[in-house]
Amino acid sequence: MKNLAIFIFSGFFFLPSTLANAGVLKDKNCGSCHRLNATEKSFTGPDLHYAGSKFQPEWLSAFLKRGEVIRPAGFITDPGFLKGPSENRPPHPSFPEEEAHALTEELMSLKIPRQTSVTSEPLSKGQRAKIKYQFERTFSCISCHQSLNLAGKVRGGISGPSLVNAGNRLQADWVADWLNTPETYTSKGRMPRYKMDPATLIQFARFVMMLKKENIK
Amino acid sequence: MLLTILVTGCGENEQARPAIKPPTQQEVKQASPLVPQQKLAQVTENTRQTYQWYCAQCHGMKGKGDGINAKFLTVPPRNHTKAEYLETRTDEQLFEAIKFGGLSVGRAPCMPAWGHTLNEDAIASLVQYIRELCQCEAL
Ligand code: HEC
Ligand code: HEC
Repeated sequence: MKNLAIFIFSGFFFLPSTLANAGVLKDKNCGSCHRLNATEKSFTGPDLHYAGSKFQPEWLSAFLKRGEVIRPAGFITDPGFLKGPSENRPPHPSFPEEEAHALTEELMSLKIPRQTSVTSEPLSKGQRAKIKYQFERTFSCISCHQSLNLAGKVRGGISGPSLVNAGNRLQADWVADWLNTPETYTSKGRMPRYKMDPATLIQFARFVMMLKKENIK
Repeated sequence: MLLTILVTGCGENEQARPAIKPPTQQEVKQASPLVPQQKLAQVTENTRQTYQWYCAQCHGMKGKGDGINAKFLTVPPRNHTKAEYLETRTDEQLFEAIKFGGLSVGRAPCMPAWGHTLNEDAIASLVQYIRELCQCEAL
């Protein structure tokens, strides 16, 4: 019924589909912090205009129900970002089951074209050891991102988003696309750019997908 | 000191590691042999902003090595205000550490490579900015 209403509404006013999608997200004012549309210029939270290409729906739902800290030092443009985690950071808004579900559905409809296709096949033990080594040494990822070591302990810096649960949170193709062409997703992040060959890129995405909070020991 | 760096990773102290070597300084050099005239580099407002945006997350807002990631690294970020150490490094060495990462100059892998993020002029001006922070020159 609601979809029908949006359909008629958008058809009537010839609204672009992204705007027509802004139903619950708009009601809940998510756009006051997040970018929901490529044309928006200012935002103080993570860009969500490609949320449907980046996240897994189950994770989104769970996050919207009870929040979770992904960026221990806050968002990269926060005025206090370089001063470290703040005690009085407000928790993320959370929502009852039904609303979380509706929000997730709308977020999942915000997609942009992908460039890489990554197999869901886990890495072999040897490949995993190789990429873990590069994650820590060749590319210094661990200096800014939390991840899990072989003993299942959380390790790493805090200026980047935590990757401890990345395998449940992100889509593999997106991880590869992010590493390959970050400019598609952000005009200016604080992460160094890398030039990985296509095979390494895909192995990195598969490595990141193996990081899951169930593996914390 | 160097030995510990060689046997440990960046975020932990495990002994086990596979036998894959990062590119040596020699290999990296061959891939990109250019080192511009660094003495000509100027420190501008842009240089300071670049430092705050990228480097301060580890090296700290004032370059004292106390950025927000510092306490999670096995080798602490270099304190860029310490003349005693920085005097012992040439501008070329600092340039290479920034461009190719810590490993390329025999330092810790926790220091990332910025060569695909910043162009050579920007890196050369960062070297001069670090010289300003330590108020020192290569001996
Ligand atoms: C007051 C500002 C604010 C509002 C309002 C807000 N958010 Fe957020 N949101 C943030 C910040 C800041 C983060 C980053 C939290 C972190 O990484 O720890 C975030 C994180 C997220 C994430 C995870 C993004 C990622 O990359 O990990 C999702 C999804 C999200 N918000 C959805 C929503 C939705 C849907 C709404 C509206 C119902 C909303 N947010 C309202 C500030 C806000
Ligand atoms: C992820 C954390 C991190 C970031 C970001 C970072 N560094 Fe470093 N940096 C380090 C660490 C750790 C060391 C210490 C390496 C050692 O002593 O073995 C270091 C060392 C250095 C050195 C000294 C190399 C030497 O000869 O000892 C220079 C110069 C330097 N960094 C410059 C920069 C600049 C410029 C930037 C920003 C473009 C930057 N760093 C960003 C972590 C970082």
